Amino acid sequence: MKHKPWLVILTIIAFIFPPITSFSSNIQFSASVDKSHITTEDSIELSLKISGIRNPPKPELPALQDFTVRSIGTHSSTQIINSDMQVSTVYKYLLIPKNKGNYTIGPMSIILSGTIYKSDPISVVVNNSNTKKTNANREVYTETIISKNNPYINEQIVYTFKLFRKTEARNLNLSMPHDETFFQKEDLGKAKRYSKVIEGIAYDVDEISIALFPKKAGKSTIPPSMMELDLMYRSQLNRQRDPFARFFNDPFFSGNTKKIHKILSTKPIELTIRPLPKEGKPKGFKNLVGQYYITATVGKDHLDAGDTTTLTITVSGIGNVMDTSFTNLNIGNQFKVYPDQPIFTKTIHGNQIGGEKVFKFALVPFSTGQQAIPSVTLNYFDPDKKSYKKVSTNPINIEIKPATSNEHLNLIQPKGSPTQQSISSVSVLARDILPIHTQTQDFEIFMSVQNSHIIFIIGIIAPIVIYLLAAGYIRYNHHMNDDISFSRRQIAHSNAMKKLNLLSKLNPETKDFVRQLSQIIREYIGDKLNLQGSAFTSKEVEEKLNNNTFAQEKISAVKNLLEKCESMQYSPVTTHKDLNLIDETAELLINLEKQL
Amino acid sequence: MKKSFAIGVIMLTCLLSTNRIDAETKDISAQITLANELYHEKNYQEAANIFTKLIDQGVKNGYLYYNLGNTYIRLGNISSSIVYYLRAKQLIPRNANLEANLRYAISQTQDQLFPPKKRLITDILFWIESINLIEHCIILFFTNIIFWLICIGSLYYRKPTWHSMKKVALTVLLIVFLSTLIKNHLLLNQKIGVVTDKIVAIKSDRNNKNITLFKLHEGAIILINEEDKEWLNVSVESEKTGWVAKNSIGY
Repeated sequence: MKHKPWLVILTIIAFIFPPITSFSSNIQFSASVDKSHITTEDSIELSLKISGIRNPPKPELPALQDFTVRSIGTHSSTQIINSDMQVSTVYKYLLIPKNKGNYTIGPMSIILSGTIYKSDPISVVVNNSNTKKTNANREVYTETIISKNNPYINEQIVYTFKLFRKTEARNLNLSMPHDETFFQKEDLGKAKRYSKVIEGIAYDVDEISIALFPKKAGKSTIPPSMMELDLMYRSQLNRQRDPFARFFNDPFFSGNTKKIHKILSTKPIELTIRPLPKEGKPKGFKNLVGQYYITATVGKDHLDAGDTTTLTITVSGIGNVMDTSFTNLNIGNQFKVYPDQPIFTKTIHGNQIGGEKVFKFALVPFSTGQQAIPSVTLNYFDPDKKSYKKVSTNPINIEIKPATSNEHLNLIQPKGSPTQQSISSVSVLARDILPIHTQTQDFEIFMSVQNSHIIFIIGIIAPIVIYLLAAGYIRYNHHMNDDISFSRRQIAHSNAMKKLNLLSKLNPETKDFVRQLSQIIREYIGDKLNLQGSAFTSKEVEEKLNNNTFAQEKISAVKNLLEKCESMQYSPVTTHKDLNLIDETAELLINLEKQL
Repeated sequence: MKKSFAIGVIMLTCLLSTNRIDAETKDISAQITLANELYHEKNYQEAANIFTKLIDQGVKNGYLYYNLGNTYIRLGNISSSIVYYLRAKQLIPRNANLEANLRYAISQTQDQLFPPKKRLITDILFWIESINLIEHCIILFFTNIIFWLICIGSLYYRKPTWHSMKKVALTVLLIVFLSTLIKNHLLLNQKIGVVTDKIVAIKSDRNNKNITLFKLHEGAIILINEEDKEWLNVSVESEKTGWVAKNSIGY
């Protein structure tokens, strides 16, 4: 009986690593930390080791209210020393302190087969980070900047977070909280990375900014931002002579890299939000703060009555452009206005947010003649000049021609000023159908339809017929070009007839006439039978024609004619004047052509 | 001599035929213009009479159906207007005014049933609903000509580019051909009707004594599955099917 090798291997693996939890009589449970004195910027790595048992359950952690606890993985190992197998599992946690103080971690416990195993408690001391020390010469530090501490409501302020570091950092995680009841947040693009020299020390700087728009007046605080990261310290081994030193110093081979987890907090920032001044506040002011521009265009400035044109109002600038609206667009009562959904496109100008908001209105004129769309005004508060400003569009003239159709339409009428936000305020008085079609040329289509099936069938079949004819012709041409014998055969008769025509104009009493006539017959036969040259005798012609199974009668006729020509050609005196020789030859060639 | 005589006869026939067609076209155009004027003068019944007379004469034009649909709306005959709008839609499927007026007419009906939803095949050949049969035939006509011209070119030039062009043209031709066949099949087999009576009872079988499955009101759009003498098998929203007297349905 043959043993399958994979079956044996599986049996051994199953024996060594049974899939159930196995217990040993020597179970040990211990807890340890990587450091017991830390600052609020550091973290502790807590390791819970369970030995003597395979696949143990997860140990229970006590309530650690002063720390943020994060699991960072599990590590299992099996060692066989002198046939004695030792198994252990380590559960690792990252403890991030919330405040300074002296803390006791644990004891931690685990229940295995009804027995409770406990670890010893661990004391740790958390001190404040040395914030009094100047930032200069620190490995890593953070900084936050606010563009303005006393902004107006809706004025854009830029909150910037900067991370300065001298060493490589990985796994960066930034939390920039803000009070949503006080601020509306807008992103200002991706983080920037650059280098900066501070007091002679080069730092790598990661910078990210957000725009905050205060919603209400009063005192507010931007809470501290928190940056978590792993600082990577690489120990430089003496590998100067090692040709692979540069290769193994690559971050990919991180065997000689020390990783330190850091949590960096910034200070909270106090802000005083100012209300917008009441003095000079225009009527219908929409809380727009910043710098604004406005333009207006129309799609068509010449249109027929009943036609529509599109009025496009574009508001652009820096500030809360996204909050722009035209709730009281007043362009008179000469148009019916259908507002469209506005489109906002955000843009970043330097370190400030801005954009463009496009409003489209479909306008249907109520009356004909020269109509004017009045200028549209937008009010905003300029925080730099601390005053209210006004921007307006230019008035636009539209020429409306009388309609060609005199059908009356019961279209909807606006009740008061139409707006894009309150469409419901437009009451529909009546609904009606659209007018009849009056363009006469569109009614003439039926004529072409009447005989369409005949045209269609011709259109389908004709190209196929043309193709077949063209294909035959093209194939014939290709055959003529590619096959010389075919080509000679095809043109033999026409060539011979042409030459006979030319010959008929010569004097038939000359010997040259007879010689040429004989030559025409020989060439014809040579072309038809694809023979080289034409210098063969009447005897040879008879043989060639016999080989090609010609009717004996025709062979004799050819032979006789050739012999007649030869006798006339080679006799010293022209004794015979046969004026019908051309006709006889032509008739013979026609007869031969029928067979060939 | 004989040849020139034959050519002369053909040319004369063509000329006379063209003149006849021109005369007919002018006459029909004049009648349509008159009907349109009557419509604008709110003489809707006279306008409808002219439009109907032209249709009875065999004039088949989407805009004519559309105008008649409008005229019927003005006359308060919603079901007939829907019938003609649906006929117009087969000929001028992309006309926005027609679409709007059909929606309006349907909104005036009690059942407010819209034309049956698309099938899977019309989802795949998405253009099929937007192109009428004549346009399909025109596209097929030109695609066919282009394909055979490319075939001739391919035969003459004998180059790989021409062979590739031939394959592409053949694929396009087959798609257009398939699309045209399906369009024709749908027009012949997918009959859509409109309830013309005030209210009709949809029966379980071809007899008024059978059970009434459901009722439809004037202007309701139904799909006609089968015709059997004086009865039609109709369905609404795919699941509701029954029989209704033929004279209650316009199509």
